[in-house]
Amino acid sequence: MKSKLKLSIVSAIAALIALPSIARANFPERTVENIFPWTAGVAMSVSQIIAEAMGDELGVSIPVISTPGAAGTKAFRTAMNKPADGYTIIDGYVAPLVLQPLLGNADWTYKDFTPLHAGVSNAFSIGVRKGEDRWTDFEGMMEYGREHPGELRYSSGSRNNLPHMVIAKVLQSYGVVAQNIPYKTDGDARKDLQAGVLDFAFINVGAYLQDKDGYDILLVLSELPGAKASYDGAPSIADLDIDLGLSGLAPMGWNWWVVHPDTPEDRVAVLREAMSKAMAREDVREKIERVGFVPLEWDHADYEEVVGPVAGQLSAMGDALAWEEKQLEQLRN
Amino acid sequence: MLDSLASGLTLVATPLAIGLTFLGVMFGLMVGALPGLGPLMGIILLLPVAIGLPPVAAMGFLIAIFIGGSCGGSISAILLRIPGTPLAAATLFDGYPMAQKGRAADAIGIAISASALGGLFGGVVLILFAPLLAGFASGFAPPEYTALAITGLIAIAVVSDGSVLKGLMTGVLGLLVATIGTDEFSTGYRFTFGAYQMLDGFHIVAIVVGLFAVSEMAFQVTRPGLCDKPEISIARPGFRSVLITLRHWFNLLRSSAIGAFFGSLPGAGGVISSFCAYAVAKAAAKPHEPYGDGAEGGVVAAESANNATVGGTLIPSLALGIPGDASSAVLIGALLILGYFPGPTLFEQQPEIVGGVFLVYMISNVFLFIAGILATPLFVYVLRIRKSYLVPTVLLLCVIGTFALQASVFDLWVMLGFGLLGILLRSANYPLAPLVIGVILGPLLENNLRRSLLISREGYWIFLDRPVSATLLAINVLLIAGAVWFAMRRRSRSKSDTESANN
Repeated sequence: MKSKLKLSIVSAIAALIALPSIARANFPERTVENIFPWTAGVAMSVSQIIAEAMGDELGVSIPVISTPGAAGTKAFRTAMNKPADGYTIIDGYVAPLVLQPLLGNADWTYKDFTPLHAGVSNAFSIGVRKGEDRWTDFEGMMEYGREHPGELRYSSGSRNNLPHMVIAKVLQSYGVVAQNIPYKTDGDARKDLQAGVLDFAFINVGAYLQDKDGYDILLVLSELPGAKASYDGAPSIADLDIDLGLSGLAPMGWNWWVVHPDTPEDRVAVLREAMSKAMAREDVREKIERVGFVPLEWDHADYEEVVGPVAGQLSAMGDALAWEEKQLEQLRN
Repeated sequence: MLDSLASGLTLVATPLAIGLTFLGVMFGLMVGALPGLGPLMGIILLLPVAIGLPPVAAMGFLIAIFIGGSCGGSISAILLRIPGTPLAAATLFDGYPMAQKGRAADAIGIAISASALGGLFGGVVLILFAPLLAGFASGFAPPEYTALAITGLIAIAVVSDGSVLKGLMTGVLGLLVATIGTDEFSTGYRFTFGAYQMLDGFHIVAIVVGLFAVSEMAFQVTRPGLCDKPEISIARPGFRSVLITLRHWFNLLRSSAIGAFFGSLPGAGGVISSFCAYAVAKAAAKPHEPYGDGAEGGVVAAESANNATVGGTLIPSLALGIPGDASSAVLIGALLILGYFPGPTLFEQQPEIVGGVFLVYMISNVFLFIAGILATPLFVYVLRIRKSYLVPTVLLLCVIGTFALQASVFDLWVMLGFGLLGILLRSANYPLAPLVIGVILGPLLENNLRRSLLISREGYWIFLDRPVSATLLAINVLLIAGAVWFAMRRRSRSKSDTESANN
C-alpha cells in the first residue's frame, strides 16, 4: 500500500515536471496575436495574408491587431508588455524597429528582439503630379528648390518617418530647403499633391500602380533594380551623380516579424518554421506581389546581417531631419 | 457606365456572389448592433476569407458588411439607448424616445428603410458622378477641411438638448480629450502621463460605448422594475415602414445628399455626416415636430446620412484609389490583393469590376432592407427581456466588443472611465453627443488648421484666398450670427411672456 502511494506521488511529480514540456510541445494551443503598428489599410492587409498562411501552418488563427500611435512605438510597447510566451508577434516595421530609437523616441535597438523571418519590402519614390511644368526632371526640381529656398511644399506622409528621413537626406545633399507637411494618411497627402497644394510627395509602389497616369516619378528612392522596374524604369538614386549613402534596404519600407527576447527558444523555433513555410508559399508570394510589395526571403539567421547595416546607414543620415528643421527656422527669422 | 454595369452583371449574377452579399449584410447588421464592434472590425475579421474568393463576390461580401454594419448600430441605439457604433450616436436622439413610446418596431423599420434608401441614393451618386465628384473632392485641401470642421462644431449648438451652453461645454471637453496622444506635427506626447497606452489617445469606440452604454446601464439599474418581465405589445412594422420613411422624402434626399457629400471627402466620415444631417433636419423642422422626443424625421436624417456616406466613401476609393475612411482603406487593400488597382485605370481597363462593385453595393442595400425588416421582430424581442438579464448581458457584450478593438485591457478602463463621466454628465443634464462630436472633430480641426498654416506662404490669408474655403467660412459666420440672433429673440420672447404672465 505504502509503495503504491509512493509510486503515485512520484508519478504525479514526474507528470508535473513534464507538464511544461508537454505544453510547449503543444504550442500553440490558442490564438497567436500579431501586433501591427499602423492603422488598417493595404500594409495591414499584407500582414493578414502572411498571418493567414502562418496560421494554417500552426493550426491556430493569427489575428492582426492594429495598434497605431507614436510612429509605431505604441505597438512595440504594447507587445513588449505582454507575456513573453510566443503568443505575441511584433510586426517589426523599420520605423519603430530602427528609426525611432535612432531619433531618441524609443529605448530599444533592433538587437533587443528575437527575429522570426523577414516580411516584405515596399519601395518608394519622389513623385509630382502629371503636367507639372516648372521642371522636367529631378535635377530640375532641385535647381528650382535652390532658387526658391523654403518655397517647396512636400509630404512624406507622417513626420519623422523613413520617407521623411530619406527625402530630407536627398534634399540636404542638394542644398534644397523645403517644408514637410505631415498627414495622417499617405492618401491624404497624394490627394493634396493632385490638388496642387503640394509640390512633390513620396509615392509608394501601390499608389503608383493605382494611378500611373496621375504622377510623374522623378526619383526612385532605392538602388535595387527591382524597385526601378516597379516604377516602369523611372530614374533611381543609382542614376544620380552624387552619392547619397543609401543602399540596400536603408531607403525602403520593410518589416521583420519579431518576438520578445525572453520568448522560450522552442516556441521561437515553432514560429520560425511556420513563418518560413508561409513565406515560401507561392500563393502567399503572389498575393503580396499583386499589391506592389516584395516578399522577402531572409530568415532569422540573416537578421543581423541585413538590419545591422540599415541601422548604420540610417544613423549616419539622422542629421538630415535636424538640418531641415534648422534651415526652415533660419528662413522664418 | 451602362456598359460597365452590364458587364459587371455577369460577375454578380452568381449564387456565390448573391449569397455572400446577403450573408455579409446579416453579419454586418450583427456586428453593427453589438456595442463596440462595427463595420471596420467586421471587414477586418472576414478579409482573409474574402481574398480567397472571386473578386466581385469578395467585394460584395465585404461591402455588404460595411453597409449592414453602418446600419446595425441604430438597432441598439433605438432599443437600448446605446449606439452600437459611433455612426448611430445621432440616431438615438429620436430613435430611443420612439421606442419608449411603444414605437420601437417603427423606429427600427424607419432606420432600416432610411439606411437602405440613403445607401441607394449614395449608390446612384456613386454610379453617375464618381469620377466627377472625385475630382471635386480632391480639390478639398486643408483650408476647406478646417472650415468644414468649424461647420461641424456649429452643429453642437443644434444637437444640444436643453442648454446650448452645456452642449458647448461638453463639446469643448471633447475637443480637450482629442488633444491626448501624439502630436502629428511635433511628434511630441500630449497628456499621456508616461502611459504608452495613451500614445494614440483614447479609442473613439471605447469612449462612445462608455459614455452611452455604461451610463445607460447604470441608470437602468436605478430605475424600478429591474426583475419584472416587461409586458410590451409590439406591432410588427412590416414593409410599411418604407412608406413612413417616404413621408419624409425631402429630409431623406437632403440627408442622403449630405451623407454622400461627406463620404466623398476623405477623412470626413459618417459620424460627422449623420450629426450634420440631423442638425439640418432639426433646424429645418416645423414647430410641431418633436425633435429630440421621438421625431421620425430625426431617425430618417441620421440613418440615411450615415449609409449614404458608405456610397460616398467608395467614390474617392474607387475613382482615385484614396480611401474615404478606415473601412474603405481595407476594401482597397482587398481589391489590391485580388489583383485590381482602384483608380482611374480600373475604370478604363476593368470596367466589369467597377460595374460589379457598383451592382453589389446596390444589391446590398436592397438586401439590407429585406433582411432588416424581416429580422426586426427578433431585434425588438430584446425589449421583452427582464432588465436583470439584459443589463449584465449588454455590459458583457460591451466589454467583449471594446476589448476586441485592440485586445487591450486599457480600452476597458477607458470605457469604464467614460461610463462614469457619462453618469455624471447625464445626472447634471449635460448632453453627451457634443462630447463625441468634439472628440471626432478635434483632430480634423486642429491638424488641418496647422497644416493649412504650414502650407500657406501668407499666413491666415490662405483661408480667404481659396474660394471654397472662403465660402464655407462665410456660411459659418452666417450660421453663428443666425444662432445668436435666434437665441436673443427666444430670450426676449420668453422675458416678455414672463412679464405678461406676472401682470
